Amino acid sequence: MSTPILEVRNVTMTFGGLTAVDDVSFNMAEGEILGLIGPNGAGKTTLFNVINGVYKPTRGNVVFRGRDITGLPPYDVVRLGLARTHQIVKPLNEMTVLENVVVGACFGAENLGLEPAQYVAEEVLEFTGLLQMKDELAGKLNIALKKRLEVARALAANPRLLLLDEVLAGLNPSEVAKMLDVIRSIRDRGISILMIEHIMQAIMSLSDRIVVLNFGQKLAEGTPDEVANDPQVIEAYLGDPEMAKRILEEEEA
Amino acid sequence: MLQIFSSVMDGLLIGLVYGLAAIGLTLIFGVMDVVNLAHGSIIALGMFFLYLFFGAGLHPYLSLVPVAILGFFFGVIVYLIAVKRIISGPPLMSLLSTFSVSMIIIGIGTALWSTSPYNINFKVETYNILGYTVTSARLIAAVAAVLVTFGLYFFLYRTVLGKAVRAVANNREAAELMGIPSQQILAISFGIGTMLAMLSGALIATLFPFTILSGGVYELKSFVASVLGGLGNPTGALLGGIILGLIEGSVAPFIQISWTNVIEFVIFVLILLFFPTGLFGGRK
Repeated sequence: MSTPILEVRNVTMTFGGLTAVDDVSFNMAEGEILGLIGPNGAGKTTLFNVINGVYKPTRGNVVFRGRDITGLPPYDVVRLGLARTHQIVKPLNEMTVLENVVVGACFGAENLGLEPAQYVAEEVLEFTGLLQMKDELAGKLNIALKKRLEVARALAANPRLLLLDEVLAGLNPSEVAKMLDVIRSIRDRGISILMIEHIMQAIMSLSDRIVVLNFGQKLAEGTPDEVANDPQVIEAYLGDPEMAKRILEEEEA
Repeated sequence: MLQIFSSVMDGLLIGLVYGLAAIGLTLIFGVMDVVNLAHGSIIALGMFFLYLFFGAGLHPYLSLVPVAILGFFFGVIVYLIAVKRIISGPPLMSLLSTFSVSMIIIGIGTALWSTSPYNINFKVETYNILGYTVTSARLIAAVAAVLVTFGLYFFLYRTVLGKAVRAVANNREAAELMGIPSQQILAISFGIGTMLAMLSGALIATLFPFTILSGGVYELKSFVASVLGGLGNPTGALLGGIILGLIEGSVAPFIQISWTNVIEFVIFVLILLFFPTGLFGGRK
């Protein structure tokens, strides 16, 4: 087996007395879509922040393409080819859509000059379906378009691994469908994807494998089917295993 | 009539230089939300740097180049020493910190040059255009201010580094997550803001006598011009400077010069009351 694109090794992150991520380990293979799920407050976004360098983990390591990136600042992590989007979108409001993506390309893995960055940006905008509004101010977009802009900006950095933090949240069903298409075509370009998502149907159909977090700990890991039928996972989501079992049986009947 | 016209023209030309100073102030505020209280003393320092290079035998306009370079590095150093650590702290901290820098500059300046006035003595041509008499110094100062402003715009909108500055100004956190080392960009921005302040000081020094305390007046003018144009908006600051210059020019023939400050600050208060984001829109 080739080197995993991402290895999370025994990562623990504490804030004062609170342990947000507790001894979590998993590997991701090149080209894989790995879903990261768990109830609210399970530590998913914190784990993302550890992976891309916003937080330095209290213990443990993050290894990206065989290189230990633990504690590297986010701007260096991007340059190594690990980009991310945010649950709460962070566009550069007073710059145009195109400029937002150009900045992403200039300071991404390729470190492009302004002209090639422009070219890359237009291509990425076309790919994400934002090309018609490239001259709009980013702050004026609606939430669905802002989410797509997040993805476009991250893609412009030419990443090997893309972290997607709830890119589907707040979108209506047709927007969700569009975004799913975008995500699939990103994978088809050979970019590995680690995604947090609450829309179960979407993540179950997209992911090759799923990691479940609960109270900061890894609860389960496996294919979508394995995870969906794991009693512990069901308990974490629904609280009562007996009831969960009944619901499952009812569904099967 | 001609006298009023001359006065207004003089006001316009000096207004461009005020505008340049105001851009320095507003750029730093726009990028990092720091109100730089060392702005005035940095302007005064620009005057004295010009004086030093001039004293060393360099032509005043040629001296602008080393003043600009020195200004940039001076700003970067001030940022690293006095601003970097408190950049995310409450606004009062950066006010106190930059105020301390101002006191240090004025203290050292007073020790070196006392508070007596200096001036730059060089040959100035006088032109007469349709009865309006203007000195080459005033014209060149205005043209230089405009050129530097164009240069700044080119930098901000047409270069990768400039885009990074604007990205950091928009959202520091997001910029960092997009691969921009924000601390370096902040240091560069502070350097540029300081450079503009020093250049404006140097240009003023080619026009009027100055002391190490002269910066205070221009700092206040910079505040008025920035607020007029909307804090954080460089174009607005330039226009604010021009408006300020025009006001000064048009009231000068009618009342005593000491009244101009009163009028300027009455306008300042009115703008704050009725157009809190400035006439041309602020950054937010």
